[in-house]
This record gives sequence, C-alpha cells and structure tokens, in this order.
Amino acid sequence: MSKIVVENVKIIKKKSLGRGNFIFEMAPFSKTKSIKPGQFVHIRQPRTNLLFRRAFSVYDFDAANRTLSIIFKVFGRGTSLMAKLERGAALDVMGPLGNGFKYPSKRKTVILAAGGIGMPPLYLLAKTLLSRGYDPDRILYFYGGSSKADLVDISRIKKLGIRVYPSTDDGSYGFKGFVTDAITDNVDLTNGKHHLYGCGPEGMLKALDELALSKNLPGQLSLEAPMPCGIGICLGCIKPLRAGGYTRICREGPVYDVGEVLL
Amino acid sequence: MRPDLSIEIAGVKFSNPILTASGTCGYGEELAEVFNLSRLGGIVTKSITVLPREGHPPPRTAETEAGMLNAIGLANVGVDRFIEDKLTFLEKYNTVVVVNVAGAKLSEYVEISKRLADCPRADMVELNFSCPNVEAGMEIARDPELAEKAVGEVKKVFPRPVIAKLSPNVSDIALIARACESGGADALAVINTLVGMAVDIETFRPRLTNNTGGLSGPAIKPVALAKVNQVYNAVKIPIIGIGGIMNWVDVVEFFLCGACAVQVGTGLFVEPDAPIKIIEGLRKYLSSNKFSSVRELTGKLRKY
Repeated sequence: MSKIVVENVKIIKKKSLGRGNFIFEMAPFSKTKSIKPGQFVHIRQPRTNLLFRRAFSVYDFDAANRTLSIIFKVFGRGTSLMAKLERGAALDVMGPLGNGFKYPSKRKTVILAAGGIGMPPLYLLAKTLLSRGYDPDRILYFYGGSSKADLVDISRIKKLGIRVYPSTDDGSYGFKGFVTDAITDNVDLTNGKHHLYGCGPEGMLKALDELALSKNLPGQLSLEAPMPCGIGICLGCIKPLRAGGYTRICREGPVYDVGEVLL
Repeated sequence: MRPDLSIEIAGVKFSNPILTASGTCGYGEELAEVFNLSRLGGIVTKSITVLPREGHPPPRTAETEAGMLNAIGLANVGVDRFIEDKLTFLEKYNTVVVVNVAGAKLSEYVEISKRLADCPRADMVELNFSCPNVEAGMEIARDPELAEKAVGEVKKVFPRPVIAKLSPNVSDIALIARACESGGADALAVINTLVGMAVDIETFRPRLTNNTGGLSGPAIKPVALAKVNQVYNAVKIPIIGIGGIMNWVDVVEFFLCGACAVQVGTGLFVEPDAPIKIIEGLRKYLSSNKFSSVRELTGKLRKY
C-alpha cells in the first residue's frame, strides 16, 4: 500500500476564527493513523483554474473518525477561493507529506514557539507529546502575533493543560514583544534542559534559529515555501543548507534541526 | 477484447504510450511511493549533466494562469552518481528507462551518452537540446546543422535508440526536426517549454531569479498540438507528444495530431498518479470506440 494517498474528502465543519483565519475539518481521510505532527497535506480545490495544490500543516486529526483539520489564513488566490467553500464541499487531499517532528527526550522541558498561522503543527505536537506521557507542566507553548486577533484558536491550546505564553507585538494581549523575547524573559535557557520547536514567519524562524544556536539549545524548526508538487519532484520549494547545496522543503523537510537551513 | 495499449519505438517495446517527462519525476524514487513505476510505459529521467549541478537559486518556479514557469537550471546528481544510485534504483521496475542528457557543449552530450552506452538499463537517451534555461542547449536547438551533427555524434557512441527533444522557441521547428532525422534520431520529443516571464508588481522583480523560465502546463497544450502536427507532417520518425497533458482526452488529441506516445510533465505536480488515471481512461475510450490498438489513433486528424 502506498504511503501517500490522493483522496476526495468533504468539509464537515468550517469555522471562522476572525481576521481571515478559518478552520476546516475534513473527512474521510484514510491515512489519519499515520499522520505525524509537523506533516502536511496538499490540497486541490476542484472547479477552480488554479493549477497547483496548496500545502497546509495538519492541525488535528481523529484516527477513529478519519477526520483531519487545518487552519488557514486568506493570503492569495488559493486561500481566498478556499475561504468561500462551505460545509459539504469536496476537496482533493494528498498526504500525509513531509517528515514531521522528532520527539525530544522526556527529561527535557519542551519550548514550542509559534508565530501566527504557524500554530497548528505545534498544537498537534503538544497534543501528541501529552498522549505519549510528557509532563504538561514541562510543555511551554509560546504563541506570538502582531496583535491579539492573530492568536487564533488559543483557547484550544489552553485546554490541553500545558503552559501557554501569549505575546503580541502591540501588547494587546500577553507579553509585549517578539516570541523570542517572551522566551528569554520567561525561561532560563542556560541550564541545558530545554528543547525548542518553532513554526511561523521566516523572520521569527531566523530569530529562533539564532537564539538556539547562541544558547546551544537543541531543537527543530518547521519551514514553509510555495510548493508546486509537495512530493519532491518539481524542485521548486528549495532553501539553501548551511552545509551547502539545497534542500527540498516538501521532501527533506518541512522540519529541520536548528542551524541546518540557511534562513 | 481489451484494446492493445502497447507501442514500439525503434525496436523498444512500451507496455503503454504514457511516459513521465524529464524534469518532472526526478529519477523515479518519489513517484514510486505513489504508484508502481512498472505501470508506466516509460520514465524519462531528470536531465543528466557531466558534473552535478545545484541549479538556480530560489525562487525557481512560479504558478501562472493554467500553467507554471520554471527555471530549475538542470539541478541533477551528475552522470557518475546517476549511474551508481539512480539507474540501479530503476533496475527493479519493468518500464522503459529513457535517460535525458544535457550539456554545455556537444562533447558533453557525447561523453554522457558514451557512459550510458555501457548501462543496459538506459534503454534510450533523450537529448535535451532545448532547455530554455541553459544557453548552450539552446544553440543546438536553434541551429539545424549543429542539431544534425549532435544527433549523429551521439548515435556513434550510443548503441540504442536516441530521441531528440525539440524546442518550440525557434522560428521553424520542422527544419530542426528534419535535421535531427537526417542526423539519425530514432524519435522526436515535441515540445519542451516556452520561454516566459512572470512579474511581481510590488517589487518590480521577475518572479524567478533566472528572470525568465520555461512555461508548461495546460496553457501550452494548443501550441504543443500544433507543433506535433507540424513535425508529424515533416518527418517519418515517431513523435512523442508533450505539453500540458493532464488527462486521457489530452492524450487522444496528441495522438490524432501525430504522436505515437506522450509524456506527462507538469500534470504530475498536480496529480502524481495522473499517468495511471490516463492509462485507464485511454483504455476505456479505445474500447468504447472499438479501436483494437492505440496505434490506430496516430495522425488520424481530419484537417480542413
């Protein structure tokens, strides 16, 4: 049986999260059981003149009911059209794709650093770590945005019972400043007991990468790039590696160790 | 009776006429996770050059209306690693392996073809004379004398069939087609991408770092059909049609215009299992229209 499936699924739930952010819950997707946090699905909307699929990190899934959720923010033509779809509409979903996160040692305190729409894969990672027996008090979720409205679905993260640290650039909610500042303000990174995960805008990832390298903090970052194919055959979604050469975000990534990719 | 999908090009037998196009399927490893490569008529590898190439810096692809622009810049592992790793991987599949060859000058095409001559798994070579993103290839693609010579030189060193892949970015594609035929080409692949540009009005920059790129996808299908038909009327050797094929209907159109096989390229980026769906659709079409073989369709266009 192939590892990747291409299937027709239906939107079974659509919810607006404000500021052009939406949740889609879709079913049935036959490969929910094999989804790892950090993996993505590649979605095509039927009856549009868009040629390519659009990649979305898996936000959540329910293996028993074969449901799958994503969060997306209206950004370009693809997401604008997608936002107009309603419950019952069919989508062509390919996945699960990409490598996903590696799990940290249980002795570590886990720092999850999400920026805006980078939240979903780290939510799924937190949820998965809890189900694998990690201590909720040692999972710290730093969630940053430009203002409060960007911290979409934060209540769902809080429901996990982990420690949540919101931050906003304008100070409208939580810590005023960047996610990296919120981390250094709240955590003593010098004791070597932390493991970092990050997902968000490239500027934030670059700051996290620098922070991790300067503090000798192990961790992984989830990257993003426009992906024509999503499976490594078009060579479009590349980024330069620090060690030289390029990497395909869709295939070797989207998750990389800190310091691996030249951000 | 099940219609016969098999075809033959210069003595090489294909179980069906659907191939994957060069530069859209790597060396087969990724697609093998989606379907069994033995179901393909053939696989045309990414262009191979003498030395490994990283390709152009990103961004090197851009989505356009019903198409895409790419300027990958012939990123590939180089002929040594290709033979060691990639060709070995393809050993286990029962499909025709066509190795696409590119070079900065004629001697490089010859050098790579000579190396591949000793690899029986390289059933055929396809000469990429038409990569719009690398200048050297374009010179051969535009110059009939050079194209004839290049095919002839490769034929001297490679003992199995040689396909020449033609560029649409020339004033008379039939002229180049005839030159390749005279040089001894066993088949022609028609067409490669069209030179295009996409522009970002915020930054005033082209969307590709290479400035221009090769346009592919459904947007170019009408151009490809016209070129296939033009070449079909100009040469006697078989034509493999390429350009915006997404489904079996497109394949029938290419056959009617003169193709005896096709390559699916950009379509794979949208539906990686497109070849499988195409094969099934084609079989149904032939069956319901009482064709006993797909070969009966080639060149059956009723022109006005």
